[in-house]
Amino acid sequence: MKKLLLASLFSASLFGNVAIATQTIKANVNGMVCAFCAQGIEKKMRTLSQTKDVYVNLKQRLVAVEVKDGQTLSNDTVKAIVKNAGYEVTSIEMSEHPVAQIKAELEAKK
Amino acid sequence: MIYNRCKVLLPLLTMLLSQPTTAGPMGFDESFMAMGDFNNNWRESFINYAITPGDAFGISATYMRADDKTKSRTLEEIIYTHLLRRWNMPHAQANLWFQGGIGTLQGKDEDIGKDHDFDKIMVTPGVQFDYETTRIYFQVSHRLYRASDINHDYTSVRAGFSFYESDYDKTQPWLILEARNMNGLSDKIEITPMLRLIDKSFFVEAGMNTDYKPRFNFMFIF
Repeated sequence: MKKLLLASLFSASLFGNVAIATQTIKANVNGMVCAFCAQGIEKKMRTLSQTKDVYVNLKQRLVAVEVKDGQTLSNDTVKAIVKNAGYEVTSIEMSEHPVAQIKAELEAKK
Repeated sequence: MIYNRCKVLLPLLTMLLSQPTTAGPMGFDESFMAMGDFNNNWRESFINYAITPGDAFGISATYMRADDKTKSRTLEEIIYTHLLRRWNMPHAQANLWFQGGIGTLQGKDEDIGKDHDFDKIMVTPGVQFDYETTRIYFQVSHRLYRASDINHDYTSVRAGFSFYESDYDKTQPWLILEARNMNGLSDKIEITPMLRLIDKSFFVEAGMNTDYKPRFNFMFIF
């Protein structure tokens, strides 16, 4: 019984780790050329309870939204926010890297 | 004349009425945008609130004066702004806007031997087109300022470039050249080169026209 309990705790912690892996949604966005105008995307993304961090890169046409541990954020929500801010999402991909890393990598390429 | 222009503009506006959202004379959905445009003969303060991604209502106060200072006008109006059409391209964005207001105009004409004060209702429908990349900017706008026996139509063309590409969270400097005319107040086309600074939280422009009169503009979204 003790062994079963330990095994359960071990597997729970293992799956727990999988569940809390970093999840960042990277959206490629058309029309995003001006920081003053694109601020709406960042502000709206930050109001979501699931959002941990946001990164906007005008040159790469990128909006990256890091999701809080254990939470989910749908692609449709991201697309809707970008559309309502005045822009168009052309593609979306998932990343396991945090926003800080994505930002550092893109800035290192300059 | 107004009727003839409306006959052309209204079907065009009706056809184009659709589409969502920002960049230009309004902020993003559920945001306020404050704007100011000040020089010696034209001073405008304006604030609006975006009720949808493509519609905003606001109030504005404008002081206008003729070059020779014989005419002055003060206009307080309610303004509706609507995004008619937006084109999102990979590295550019273009927008077509409608902006129109209605308000009260107080005017003073100082003719030789007699001064004349008046109050009138003024309507101010207009359109604006802008095209922008991270390095170049172009805008043309035309707005009617009409009351009975008054025509102060405003036409403006702006073009400019940024000195360099900058990050989203860094301030970007631009050089903007504007040519504008206020009908019935000035016979000249006013040319003003301006330095524009764009940051994600503010937008300011400062310059001096060819008559060495200073100009200052700002926009702020909150």
